[in-house]
Amino acid sequence: MPDVQVLVNDFINKLRKRKIEGSQATSRQTAELLRSVISQTRVPYTNQAGALIDAVRAVGEQLIAANPVELAVGNIVRRVLHIIREEDLSLATAAVAGLGLSSVSDDEDDSERDNHPVLSAAVVAAAARSTLRPPSLQTLLEDVPDSGAVPHTSSSGGDSEGKSKSADKSSRSRKLKHDVIEALNELIQDITTCHELIAEQAVEHIHQNEVILTLGSSRTVLEFLCAAKEKKRSFRVFVAEGAPRYQGHLLAKDLVTRGLQTTLITDSAVFAMISRVNMVIVGAHAVMANGGVIAPVGLNMVALAAQRHAVPFVVLAGSHKLCPLYPHNPEVLLNELRSPSELLDFGEFSDCMDFGTGTASPLLHVVNPTFDYVPPKLVSLFITDTGGHNPSYVYRLIADYYSADDLVVQRRPPTAS
Amino acid sequence: MGAQKKGATRFSEDPEELARVPLQAILLADSFTTKFRPITLDRPKVLLPLVNVPMINYTLAWLESAGVEEVIVFCCAHSKQVINYLESSEWFSHPNFSVTTIESHNSISAGDALRLIYERNVIQGDFVLISGDTVSNMSLTQVLKEHKERKKKDSNAIMTMIIKRSKSSPIIHQSRLGTDELFMAIDPNTKQLLYYEDKADYSKGAICLDKLLLADNPTISLHNDKQDCYIDICSPEVLSLFTDNFDYQHLRRHFVKGLLVDDIMGYKVFTHEIHSNYAARIDNFRSYDSISKDIIQRWTYPFVPDVKFFGNSATKLERQGMYRASDIVQSRSAEIGSFTVIGNGTRIGNNAKISNSVVGEGCTIGSNVSIEGSYIWDNVIIEDGCKLMHSIVCDGVVIKSGAVLEPGVVLSFKVIIGQQFVVPPYSKVSLFQQPTKQDSDEELEYADNSSGIVENSSMADTVDKSNGQFTSELLDEECGPTYELGTGGVGYIWSICEGSHEEEWRHSIAPIPADKLAEAMQTTDDDLELLTQDGSVLPPSGELKPDSNYSDDNEDPRDVSIYFEKEVEATFLRAVHENIKEDHVILEVNSLRLSYNKLFTDCAGAIFYSLMKLALETPHSSPSELCNSTMDVITKWKKLLKSYLTDIDEQIEVIQKFEEICLESAKEFSPLFSKILFHLYDKDLIQEDAILKWDDEKKYADEADKVFVKQSEKFIQWLREAPEEDDDEEDEEE
Amino acid sequence: MWWRSASFILDHRLQEDPPNDIASSSKEPDTLSKLSPPQTHSSFMAAADPFNPIPNPKISAYYQTRAAHTAVVTSDWLAQAQAAVGHHPDDSPAPQTQLLASPSASGKSFCVINEFNNWRKQPDLAEAVAAIRALAAVIRASEATTMMELEIELKKASDSLKSWDTTSISLTAGCDLFMRYVTRTSALEYEDFNSARSRLIERAEKFGEISCKARRIIAMLSQDFIFDGCTILVHGFSRVVLEVLKTAAQNKKLFRVFCTEGRPDRTGLRFSNELAKLDVPVKLLIDSAVAYTMDEVDMVFVGADGVVESGGIINMMGTYQIALVAHSMNKPVYVAAESYKFARLYPLDQKDMAPALRPIDFGVPIPSKVEVERSARDYTPPQYLTLLFTDLGVLTPSVVSDELIQLYL
Repeated sequence: MPDVQVLVNDFINKLRKRKIEGSQATSRQTAELLRSVISQTRVPYTNQAGALIDAVRAVGEQLIAANPVELAVGNIVRRVLHIIREEDLSLATAAVAGLGLSSVSDDEDDSERDNHPVLSAAVVAAAARSTLRPPSLQTLLEDVPDSGAVPHTSSSGGDSEGKSKSADKSSRSRKLKHDVIEALNELIQDITTCHELIAEQAVEHIHQNEVILTLGSSRTVLEFLCAAKEKKRSFRVFVAEGAPRYQGHLLAKDLVTRGLQTTLITDSAVFAMISRVNMVIVGAHAVMANGGVIAPVGLNMVALAAQRHAVPFVVLAGSHKLCPLYPHNPEVLLNELRSPSELLDFGEFSDCMDFGTGTASPLLHVVNPTFDYVPPKLVSLFITDTGGHNPSYVYRLIADYYSADDLVVQRRPPTAS
Repeated sequence: MGAQKKGATRFSEDPEELARVPLQAILLADSFTTKFRPITLDRPKVLLPLVNVPMINYTLAWLESAGVEEVIVFCCAHSKQVINYLESSEWFSHPNFSVTTIESHNSISAGDALRLIYERNVIQGDFVLISGDTVSNMSLTQVLKEHKERKKKDSNAIMTMIIKRSKSSPIIHQSRLGTDELFMAIDPNTKQLLYYEDKADYSKGAICLDKLLLADNPTISLHNDKQDCYIDICSPEVLSLFTDNFDYQHLRRHFVKGLLVDDIMGYKVFTHEIHSNYAARIDNFRSYDSISKDIIQRWTYPFVPDVKFFGNSATKLERQGMYRASDIVQSRSAEIGSFTVIGNGTRIGNNAKISNSVVGEGCTIGSNVSIEGSYIWDNVIIEDGCKLMHSIVCDGVVIKSGAVLEPGVVLSFKVIIGQQFVVPPYSKVSLFQQPTKQDSDEELEYADNSSGIVENSSMADTVDKSNGQFTSELLDEECGPTYELGTGGVGYIWSICEGSHEEEWRHSIAPIPADKLAEAMQTTDDDLELLTQDGSVLPPSGELKPDSNYSDDNEDPRDVSIYFEKEVEATFLRAVHENIKEDHVILEVNSLRLSYNKLFTDCAGAIFYSLMKLALETPHSSPSELCNSTMDVITKWKKLLKSYLTDIDEQIEVIQKFEEICLESAKEFSPLFSKILFHLYDKDLIQEDAILKWDDEKKYADEADKVFVKQSEKFIQWLREAPEEDDDEEDEEE
Repeated sequence: MWWRSASFILDHRLQEDPPNDIASSSKEPDTLSKLSPPQTHSSFMAAADPFNPIPNPKISAYYQTRAAHTAVVTSDWLAQAQAAVGHHPDDSPAPQTQLLASPSASGKSFCVINEFNNWRKQPDLAEAVAAIRALAAVIRASEATTMMELEIELKKASDSLKSWDTTSISLTAGCDLFMRYVTRTSALEYEDFNSARSRLIERAEKFGEISCKARRIIAMLSQDFIFDGCTILVHGFSRVVLEVLKTAAQNKKLFRVFCTEGRPDRTGLRFSNELAKLDVPVKLLIDSAVAYTMDEVDMVFVGADGVVESGGIINMMGTYQIALVAHSMNKPVYVAAESYKFARLYPLDQKDMAPALRPIDFGVPIPSKVEVERSARDYTPPQYLTLLFTDLGVLTPSVVSDELIQLYL
């Protein structure tokens, strides 16, 4: 399908150019792209889920490689894969319900299942292969099929494997794709509306005459604060400017236009002000599986200051920012160093960087990282579009959104690049 | 997918901005110079790897991201290689970014290239003129807008040059890119370029601006901290201009300067300064070094190694700016220092030390090798115990164990350095014995030298540089083979003769050695002194006097006095014609005396001279008439003269002056000398003591000088026995 | 409350000689299962003391009497009690051989243990796997005709296994896991005995395969976390950790390892040998030098005898203090443990865990008055652990309890 390929290339190009600002836009566009990819894929008669998954993965790998730092891409790809599996699953269960549960049929089902897992076991993530949940102790022993009667996902997951293998109901063949696209539309819907969903909870968290501190600029935070404002809460906001990009200035401007009492401070003044602050509310770039946060640079400092004064540190993150990966060496691998010119004027310091005279090695180095890693223990609360969560609970959310074997497959790209 | 794999500046505008008129760019894929010899003998400069990516990709990637839609690549030297590369690199197959090539074999300069392009007339509107060795991440939106607006207002504004602030070292008068210090006069308001001098010579310590500049622009800001990025936004006229004056070769030296000097056409060049963005052109080895380091330091973001802006292999940025490609075989004991780039599939041996260097793909580095500040391209084999300092090592080079590369060495392709061999500093080693003549670089050299506009100093060094090269090539011819690169070494060392050695250390990638710096420092100091002493003779107001011969007169005191006399004479004549009172004349002369800090004697001489001149000019037929007229003049201006003849020295001065006049300027006076002398005595402007003293001085002079002494012998005689004679006469009269 | 008493008992027990301990502890579980008050313990001990000179037959006899009573809990606590006297698994060829040599009355338990030991002979086959294989063998061997009988037999076998070498929690956990599966799997309900039986065997075999792969998976998962030029502190000898480092070395990762000596059984020395073979740069530390070197360390890697419900781990003595030091210096502590080491324990403090005692050779004779702490293991609370690498994936400590709950509740 050439036209899709063009779309993909175009998007990859954008990613490379770092043209898409903000993970929300990125994830939405990713989802839309994948939707078109899926709609273009023509599915074989049998095991169409597999076909779709392969198609999505093929594209996904490219996208992730295009900008490994933008985790939202990977998240969405995995979400989509997850959706495909789920849809396939629900259809399968429906089918199972369709045929009567005569023991005989079950038996022959079993027999066919029994040989199936043995070969699937040879593949990586052990028995977890065919289930949607991450592998668990149960799945170690109970191979999927046996718990057929027990009503929980893994069982039917096994069934689906069985079913989708045995050629059956042509009704399913086009239904699956349709359902998946439906689900994708919902997903896109969620991503677009996640601001509102998060903002709705503002009232529960921001109270009268409180002082809120934030750093840099995040649309989510803006919406959140404004939502509270609309609910007739009166409170004050400290905005740390967020050097070197100073997006805090923009945020302050927006807040003021929305009629919020705003105070702009330098990043270095955060510790001085923190004692007067009731709550720190910030946006995130990504939330890792262990509850750690990849956030705009400077937030780790804020988090530490907040901890020092026992000020709750609240992170707003749409569910598309949940990343099922664990951060390893995040300061380096998940960071992006921007151009030093944001910090100082090249001409001004050009003589410091004259390699001809004096030492050949540059004496002046400028490092301009984009992100900070805030360890989970510094985060008091995550507010996602599904409500507030404790950092230690994040893995649960991830278990809901992603299926384990996608991680195993996708883990390679981000680390490789 | 390669073509799409490139980043762009954050500032790069969205395509629809420029969608109205397709923006074109002319990319000259040939540096019409010989700076990169001998490497450029078998590979065009634009394909040389810069931090493991061929240079031209930086340029193209930038153009693409900056919204340029059509690029015309002009290939000349090794055009086949360039074209093949571009074809393989999928730049052609990129949507909404078309790359077309124009091939030429006989173009020897940028001028020729543009002329050829003009003939093809492929250029519709404004276009970006850039050479294929430029690295930038700037946005074109702003400058294009400015350019278009200017063009609307004034059809003569045909070109906008991109400049960037960058201090050049005061010691060696060259920018960090190794180019010579650049002087630009810019109108601070309109940003018009009024003066462009990249070959200023420092012997004089002065740069000359044309007075007219001041005449028609009230304010001029003169910069020497601006760097020319060699990125030009041009209107189509530029091409036609090149065709009109076919002697334009060099973009700056001929074209820009040409525009600046000729005021018939009245074309204007404007400048646009970029601040936060990066732009620089690789002109020589030093700039290659500097720009590579800038890239590693991410000034060119997003065109940095770890962003796959072009089909470069996945590279990971680790702490302290270490860029490492995915699969590298590295021994544990190897130390890789900060700000290094290690290419794909390179293997590094035990205890190897690498710092501030770039290592290409598929290289093999033995154990105990130390590499510092060097650029090692692909598939190089460096055996154990080698030592590389600030050198460039091209593809396929083999360095046998224990060899040492001194700073500034350049090893061209596939050279083999033998064991334990020490390559002398700044030497260039190549398999080629002698440059092949069909290399377009070659002729350019001539073009370069024949271009008269460059000042003689730089002229001189270009000449002797080329000479140097030729001699060296000659050297190679006969004794090339005898050059040993150690046991089993293959290649010829291009020896550097003294003339060009200067240039070598200036432009090599090695840091400038301390002693050179010291020298340079010394010379600059001298320049400074020179400057100051010149400054003293300038009138206190300090405004540049327009006519240049004036400043020349300042050179030696002799001329000054002449000038002084002229002035005095002028005042005197004015006095004569407008019959001003003597007192005023005296006043004026005194003021002159002060301003030229002269002595009264000088004034006396001057005034007497002017008197004589006046007398001489009054029409006369016979010497007697002249005599009388002189008498009259003297008697008339007696008072003026008197006021300067207060003491004996001045009177002697006058007498000598008179001699001088008689001998040189006005021979007519010579017969009348004694008469006039007597007259002066008679009008007691000159005391007899003075005359006698003069006589005494003359005693020992040679005959030639004694002419007038002899002539006035009787008079002097008479003076000597004046008293008694007086009496006699009186007696006789009685 | 009871746990305190338990610890009290244990302390009490330290003064006594091994055999009695075994006997006494072998009594402990049922009493616990009956939730009888501590006092009875001591009484049991007293009762037990006279008639059990050698452990093994005693145990079997004990099981013949206690066949009816089977619940995971009891066997757990049995394990705990037995732990008081057992030897550390990794470095106990001696007990093993002695056990094999020792003639025993009850054929069944004997054959189980033999079976187990045969499996165990295989290089790097974890005890848990060996145990399950052994149990599978039991199923094959058994001439039971009903599900119930089979279950009882298995129970006996597994309990005897656990009681045989109780210090290894993984063995215990393995057995529990299998028993759990046998008893709970609802699939068995609607099938005739034979198919169910075959099913059980098949699963057992499969479990073997799975857990053989566990280490590979863990090694693979943990690769991302070992970055070039990092320094890893390792404590004790763990086959998983070794596997992890081996894979890292194969992937050309550049790292160096600090090994603690691991007194008294010097497991650290063995480990450093292994690493030296892989020519990984390795440095030996005495156990007390951990804090001294911690600032050079980038991460701490430890294995685990068992992972308990809290997410904490039970591991060789010294792990706890290393974790504390690492935590105070903000260094990550990574645990590599196969999922069958997850045990249903919830220790609340160190003493709460029955210590696996071990003779410690101080080189000099210790006066009889001087008391010697002979415990071989300690418990590291979850808050000091950063991540656990298991074949279930990378887990935060809090996930572990979830997993266990999912399985056992």
